[in-house]
Amino acid sequence: MSGVDLSSIVKKYGAFQVVHGIDLTVAEKEFVVLVGPSGCGKSTTLRMIAGLEEITAGDLTIDGRRMNRIAPKDRDVAMVFQNYALYPHLNVADNMAFGLRIRKMPKAEIKTTIDDVAGILGLTEYLDRRPADLSGGQRQRVAMGRAIVRHPKVFLFDEPLSNLDAKLRTQMRAEIKRLHKRLGVTSIYVTHDQVEAMTLADRIVVMNDGRIEQIGTPMELFNNPANTFVAGFLGSPPMNQVKGVLTAKGAKIGETEIKIDGVTAADVGRAVTVGIRPEHVALKAGKGTSALPIDLDLVEPLGSEALLHARFDNNEMVFKAETHGDIGHLSGVTDIHVDSSLVKLFDGETGQALNLGG
Amino acid sequence: MANMNLYSRGDKLFVYINMALIALFTLSTLYPFIYITAVSFSDGSAASAGTVVYKPVATTISAYKYVLSEPLFWTSYVNTFIYTFGGTFVSLLIIIPGAYALSRPQLIGRRFFNLFVAFTMWFNAGLIPFFLNMRDLGLMDSYFGLIIAFACNAFNIILLRNFFEAIPESFEEAARMDGANEFQVLWKVFIPLSKPAIATIILFCMVARWNGFFWAMIVLKDEQKIPLQVYLRQVIATLKDDEEFGLQVLNFSYSVETVTAAIMVCSIIPVLIFYPFIQKYFNKGIMLGGVKE
Amino acid sequence: MSDQHIPTDGRLVRLYDHFKREWQIYVLLLPMIIWFTVFLYKPMYGLQIAFKDYSIFKGIADSPWIGFEHFQTLFGSDQFMRALRNTFMISMLSLCFGFPMPIILALMFNEITNQVFKRTAQTIVYLPHFISTVIIAGIVITAFSPTAGIVNAVLEWFGIEPIYFLIKPEWFRPIFIGSGIWQEAGFSSIVFLAAIAGVNPSLYESAVVDGASRWQMMWKITLPSILPTIIIMLIIRIGNLLEVGFELIIVLYQPATYETADVINTFIYRQGVQGAQYDMAAAAGLFNAVVAFVLVMTANTISKRYSRTSLW
Repeated sequence: MSGVDLSSIVKKYGAFQVVHGIDLTVAEKEFVVLVGPSGCGKSTTLRMIAGLEEITAGDLTIDGRRMNRIAPKDRDVAMVFQNYALYPHLNVADNMAFGLRIRKMPKAEIKTTIDDVAGILGLTEYLDRRPADLSGGQRQRVAMGRAIVRHPKVFLFDEPLSNLDAKLRTQMRAEIKRLHKRLGVTSIYVTHDQVEAMTLADRIVVMNDGRIEQIGTPMELFNNPANTFVAGFLGSPPMNQVKGVLTAKGAKIGETEIKIDGVTAADVGRAVTVGIRPEHVALKAGKGTSALPIDLDLVEPLGSEALLHARFDNNEMVFKAETHGDIGHLSGVTDIHVDSSLVKLFDGETGQALNLGG
Repeated sequence: MANMNLYSRGDKLFVYINMALIALFTLSTLYPFIYITAVSFSDGSAASAGTVVYKPVATTISAYKYVLSEPLFWTSYVNTFIYTFGGTFVSLLIIIPGAYALSRPQLIGRRFFNLFVAFTMWFNAGLIPFFLNMRDLGLMDSYFGLIIAFACNAFNIILLRNFFEAIPESFEEAARMDGANEFQVLWKVFIPLSKPAIATIILFCMVARWNGFFWAMIVLKDEQKIPLQVYLRQVIATLKDDEEFGLQVLNFSYSVETVTAAIMVCSIIPVLIFYPFIQKYFNKGIMLGGVKE
Repeated sequence: MSDQHIPTDGRLVRLYDHFKREWQIYVLLLPMIIWFTVFLYKPMYGLQIAFKDYSIFKGIADSPWIGFEHFQTLFGSDQFMRALRNTFMISMLSLCFGFPMPIILALMFNEITNQVFKRTAQTIVYLPHFISTVIIAGIVITAFSPTAGIVNAVLEWFGIEPIYFLIKPEWFRPIFIGSGIWQEAGFSSIVFLAAIAGVNPSLYESAVVDGASRWQMMWKITLPSILPTIIIMLIIRIGNLLEVGFELIIVLYQPATYETADVINTFIYRQGVQGAQYDMAAAAGLFNAVVAFVLVMTANTISKRYSRTSLW
């Protein structure tokens, strides 16, 4: 029903094309996150859905209705802006009521709506305050309140948390997720922060250079990245990527060989990128592991885990290791044991994922 | 600035000399005001003899009595208020919407319209064609003519346009998504957000209107329509003539000098009353004046 | 992907869409455009009388063309040449004496540590900017009056004979330029004060640590830091060289001082408005406007080159 459908959406500024034909279907009540580096076209895409940018070509439908030429106000969508766009001359209640007044909602109805939403967001006692007198988190909530009061079919979020400090961001992230569960409104959320994308999304859309690289649930994307870009973008620290060559037993990186099952004879000698998640390693050899000899560079303790920065065959790599309350035992590490079953292989030229024997 | 206690002896000396010089400059700025105020409250013969220095000599308010009993003084005073408030109002009606439209990225021909406005800062037809144009339009000798012909200028428009352009786009976008049309965006969002800039424009318009005399002098023939400054100029002209012919009016307790001074004081008083309110804006205004195309 | 054919709506359809959606902006724009057309661009059409034998009865369009006759007359006339000379003289003198004052004031204000004193002094020195030309003239006439004025009273204490300042050509320029400084020096210092406020405070802190005195910091830090602003303001001033405050001159001058006081704009005023020689006065105005235009454009070009930002 209140789904959003993008089909071959293109955006051009003069001769300069920023979005190269995007296809995306957002189901009703779904929370979809568009993520990618800056300039990848994610915000432009969101703004086209909002009606703030003209769509150069392609079709946008919301709730089954073609929206290409419909004014933003008639699309029944609400947007939370990166800088919140709260009117500094209006108090919280008036900020939230702004759209309702313009739409000539009866006064009494406005009041009950605002009171309801303020209750949900915990803003009841701040209704008389001006935005300047609110904390960052409160402003963020008002910005969301202003979107919620309109009961739109779709919520659009344009990097709403990027102006908050790290702690508040984590807190507001959880609040947005809770709110989405409670209201169940279709939401499209733009961010460049992969952690936000992972934690919030029902499905993530990874974009790069005006194109979609991959669409899927957070875990699908984490476990099976479609290409080196997605692999490098999701996960913190990102997946280690090293150049190698396929052999009959696995992949050879420099002088070291990692055992991988299912390499067919035809693939032997093929140039590949070997992807190793920092998490998918151990300090001791186990079943199905391959050893990588490393030169340990630096140990960064994070608490229960530590990051090991190391050189392996002229590659800078990062691994995660358990500290067990002490990092002393990590300083002498000379070998890292990779869980072969979790190693990812990508085509050496195209960067697309290789599925061996699958 | 740093704490004075941390200054060396040479620095302290420097600071004190500097303060003394500033004090001197400030006093010499203030002195003419004190001087004419003193003249206006002095006896006519004392003023004419040049004995007034900084305080009234033989204090009298007869100059004020004379001025305030002069019907043309009152008429011109009221006219000045009409030109000041009416003129500023009309100016805002043209400047605010115009500056807003010029600031919108979606305006087709935006570059052309901006150049259309800015060009008049670099080149104007000059006094005579402007004068003939007003005459051809039948705007001579009328309140409306004087108000409308000077309602606008490129500088104020560009100043406000720059301010509007600096307002984050998301404000307009949020309002648009909330269903506001352009008029509502301007009235409910941009104008409230631009109070400092609009206050600056109001200040510029009002000061120009309050002090303007040249065009009022040229355009207005009917004495009943002249503003205070034109009236004052007429009085000053008699003062100047007196000097040329060496005549002095000594018969009364007021003289041309004291009467002129009294009118000047009356004309400055509203400026002084408004001055504290406008002061906080002209700092900003000057910075906004960093006009860019 | 880039050579893929992208179907888009036609130009006209998009234009129609645009106006249907955005017509309100054009409504907001209209009054201003009308005003500029009627009051600033229509007179430019009227400028053609500078090349015509203008008669009120025939109107602008129907008066006969006479080419550059008015310009020839002007450049052959002592009065116009005198006005031209005076304009440049007065401009140059007020540039030399008037331009440094606000900079000095700003530097001095910056050194004041007592905030109350600073604010009070600033409030007072900004005030004359808001006083009308006529009042300035009134004050000058009263103060410099031979019998009633304070200036001659002071001279008398020193045993100097009273001087009829306002009918002496040699005194006109000092009085005019002096009153200009009195009126504008304070207010013009705001720009420089703002520039000073933008100087990175750590520069001063490191200078203090290095043992610099206030005087040295003023010369070695503050002044160089605001030099770009000073140069920009200087360029603007030079661009507006022809803009002499002629309103004050009109109230202050008299036939006895025309010799040093009459500038182009007062000449135009007398010839055109008072003498009804519209065509000749318009020609003088056109000459003035063209020179001003060239000056302003040159100034803008120089400023662009200097600061990489245009003045407008």
